[in-house]
Amino acid sequence: MLYLQILINGVLLGGLYSCIAVGFSLVWGVLNIINLLHGSLMILGAYAAFFAHAAWGIHPFLFAPVAGLLLFLVGLALQAGIVNRVMGAPVLITLTLTFGLNLMLDNAMIVAFKADYRKVILDPPLGLLELGNLLVPLDRLYVMALALLLVAGLYAVLRFTSVGRAIVAVRMDRDAAALMGVEVKRIYALTFAAGAFMAGAAGSLMSVIFPISPLTSNAFLGKAFVICVLGGLGSTPGVMIGGILLGVLESFGTLWLGPDFSTTIAFVLLLALLVFRPSGLMGRKGFE
Amino acid sequence: MNRAFAFRAIGLAALVALAALPWMADNYVVRVATTMLMYCALALSWNFIGGFTGYPSFATAAFFGLGAYVGGVLQNMGLFLGLAWLAAGLVVVVFAAVTGRAILHLKGHYFAIASLVIADVLREIINGLTSITGGGMGLNLTAPAMGVEAQSRLFYFSMAVVAAVALATTVWLDRSRLGFGLRCIEQNEDAAIRIGVGTARLKTIAFALSSVFVGIVGAIYASWTVYIDPSEAFDILISVKPIVMTLLGGAGSVLGPIYGAFLFLLLEETVWRNFLHVHSGVLGLLVVLLILFMPRGLLGAGSRLRVATWLRPERAAKRRAGS
Amino acid sequence: MNVQRRNLMRHAATALLWATLGSAGTTMAQSTLLVGAPLPLTGPLSPEGIKLQRGYDLWADEANKAGGVSVGKSKMPVKIVYYDYQSNTPRAVQLAEKLVTDDKVNFMFSPFGSGATKAASAVSEKYGVPTLAPTASSIEVFDRGYKNLFGTFTANDSLSEPMAEMIKTTAPSVKRVAILARNDLYPLALGQEFEKSLKKRGLDVVYFDKYPIGTLDHASAITQIRIARPDWVVVTGYINDLILVRKQLGDQKVKPTVLTMINGPVYQEFVDAVGPLANNVTTATWWHPAARYTSGDVFKSSENYTRLYKAKYNEEPDFTHATGSAVGVLLQMAIERAGSIDRDKVRAALAAGKFATFFGPLSFGPEGIANSYTPPIIQLQNGKSVVLYPPEIRNAELKLGLD
Repeated sequence: MLYLQILINGVLLGGLYSCIAVGFSLVWGVLNIINLLHGSLMILGAYAAFFAHAAWGIHPFLFAPVAGLLLFLVGLALQAGIVNRVMGAPVLITLTLTFGLNLMLDNAMIVAFKADYRKVILDPPLGLLELGNLLVPLDRLYVMALALLLVAGLYAVLRFTSVGRAIVAVRMDRDAAALMGVEVKRIYALTFAAGAFMAGAAGSLMSVIFPISPLTSNAFLGKAFVICVLGGLGSTPGVMIGGILLGVLESFGTLWLGPDFSTTIAFVLLLALLVFRPSGLMGRKGFE
Repeated sequence: MNRAFAFRAIGLAALVALAALPWMADNYVVRVATTMLMYCALALSWNFIGGFTGYPSFATAAFFGLGAYVGGVLQNMGLFLGLAWLAAGLVVVVFAAVTGRAILHLKGHYFAIASLVIADVLREIINGLTSITGGGMGLNLTAPAMGVEAQSRLFYFSMAVVAAVALATTVWLDRSRLGFGLRCIEQNEDAAIRIGVGTARLKTIAFALSSVFVGIVGAIYASWTVYIDPSEAFDILISVKPIVMTLLGGAGSVLGPIYGAFLFLLLEETVWRNFLHVHSGVLGLLVVLLILFMPRGLLGAGSRLRVATWLRPERAAKRRAGS
Repeated sequence: MNVQRRNLMRHAATALLWATLGSAGTTMAQSTLLVGAPLPLTGPLSPEGIKLQRGYDLWADEANKAGGVSVGKSKMPVKIVYYDYQSNTPRAVQLAEKLVTDDKVNFMFSPFGSGATKAASAVSEKYGVPTLAPTASSIEVFDRGYKNLFGTFTANDSLSEPMAEMIKTTAPSVKRVAILARNDLYPLALGQEFEKSLKKRGLDVVYFDKYPIGTLDHASAITQIRIARPDWVVVTGYINDLILVRKQLGDQKVKPTVLTMINGPVYQEFVDAVGPLANNVTTATWWHPAARYTSGDVFKSSENYTRLYKAKYNEEPDFTHATGSAVGVLLQMAIERAGSIDRDKVRAALAAGKFATFFGPLSFGPEGIANSYTPPIIQLQNGKSVVLYPPEIRNAELKLGLD
């Protein structure tokens, strides 16, 4: 029973993790940019959900697409105004740029919302699913399901729409895509914005689970890193699996090594993977 | 002619001022100057791997924290101060050589992340080793038994020596075959391999070089502040700041990191003094402006302000493609 | 302009900047009492930093309304010199040195929390500046033989001891205890004190573990706690940790007879963020608006302090606001008693203790930690915090169980 409960904890946590990482992975895979803003964009989405809930009583689950759309616009502006200017620059440049942008956004959020921790409280609470001795908190289950839905939606857009196929084409080979008449810059902007959409929607969902504050953005970002490497870059199913794997690993790590070392395993695993299998467990190519 | 003379005269004057500073200024200024020398050492160190070799290393915090803890623990076991610092440098350089060997085959983002994660792993381990390191409770050190002034001079000059050695190493590297090899890797690693450069070995040397001074500086820092804890010693900002400094001054140049460290400190000090609640945002803005308009730093080639480029990116891109 | 000339200009400019940095530093004529206060106004600790600042400001306002601090026959207005250390301990140390050597403050208030207080106290000790610590309670901060550090909080065991005693006597069915502590100076030290206090009374500590800073999920630790079937769960950490742990305890139906979380539940923020789950959570604190001390300071009494605080900021004061004001009145009383702003005399006056403040009677042990009042035990009942202990200010009985 213990192992089963730990497994459930891990899978549920992993579902949240995947949801955090999917937009980050998309941007990294297509634009070849590590978007250090990702965690903060998520928090921005969470704040939007918090205020919508406080002012109009809108359920954060319903609000998720709206938060996503808001962040989509933010992402579009960021990419078109700033990030597009360093496309193709070395890692160091793009990384430092998003680091600077992140400092600005975090600081702006602290000024606007204060650093106090807030959380959306659902009334009535969603409660628990009890399977004998096993407990499944329903809010996490729903968030995970909705996150899956979002990811599936993203996957469908990438697979079946012309814009989506253009994004995939750019990821595979930018120059070839450009020769085929794909407007690469436009695709970049759309991809970045899509990443921000996922961050905003994820933030909205998370607002019922985690305390929200500009100060927590880096913790989410750290998870996104690990998951991307675990799952392989830019691969949407890979991110799902990577997230769940990480959640399960951390849960069993807590059990066997104590909570103190649970995050250590994730990092050690990450290092080991980078050294021995940098394309991730699922990824195809990604050595570059 | 005269210009070279003036150049030397100014350099000499700066050296004299630097040496005389602890007797002329109050202890706070000496502390800021010590920080500035520490920044110089960090930026010069990062320049070996990030500037010369072109590998985006985020391992500075790992070397710094490890150095701080090794030095601190040894000092608490009764080892003489200077020896503890050197021992910390030694441990860190061995550590860097081993980890470097493992991760330097990675490129781009993957290398960046791997180097970033080293600090996280070390932090968690040191956090867990409560019996030796104090874990989250931090590690206390005893201040050297000497007067206030003497202490601040000791740390000032110790940092100065490390920074000077790091600078001398840079000057030497700039002219040596090793430095040439590293620059080849920076330009085009595949080509370097083809012309017979032993890239794996060279990269490991560069990575180790970029660690040794950082380790010593970390240990000096621990003795200086008398108290360290894991989240401060392995702070990600310790990795990011030297990068910004070096970019500011011009990556791969000899004096760039020093200018960068100085300018960065100056910005840091003025920014937090004048913008109490928004300084991290202002710092972020400066970083963004730096990247957009001056990506090659003060000493980098063609480092004119790129405002025009920002306004008309297409034309600039065409110009670049044409040239 | 050729390259070499441009380089020369750059060198010259750099030298100039260097010179300006060297000449920075101003002195103010000593007609104002200067108190240095490095605070975390930005970064992770900023909520606490801002609370402390409000406490300091309220004291300075009240003191200045009365014309300032009496020094012998004259009065000196107070000025607090603030710097933001960005929740970054090395920066706090650096700023402490700046306050002493550059701003030439007469006295200092410590940065927030045990860790930064410990680090920065090395500076004030070096220069012999009496320094008042508003938020340090871990004995590890004080046990280094420093002469200049005085803390208004009583030691951690003064929280764990009465709590353990109270539970032991009022809820004898409580036998098994689980402790989950954040691996950080104060929360870990406090967790260890609880372990000691519990074992001393023959209670069974069935689970003790520590979680790292920045933990996003406690589910598996809580599963283990659930399996250990504790009657009492003690969690230490900062407010975000406690909000998350409270939520996840609910997720797994862990409903011990007693749930203690320190210190987050004292803040309204905690109640707002966990909603009904806050009910019956017990906590401990060093001061509560229900306190009823009469004092010889500018505030006259705890009640009057609460009234003045509400008038100025339009919210209830909590213990962090109060301890900020408390270090102010403490310093003022010590200076007035010493009749001088001479550091040695003020230090001696502080060490002599026996200050009747609105925060409680303050005297210090030989290591500088307050040992003269009883910190209250609090429980959240129906969204309100009530006092269970000490008996003089008790306004409710302990409720067992969680809903």
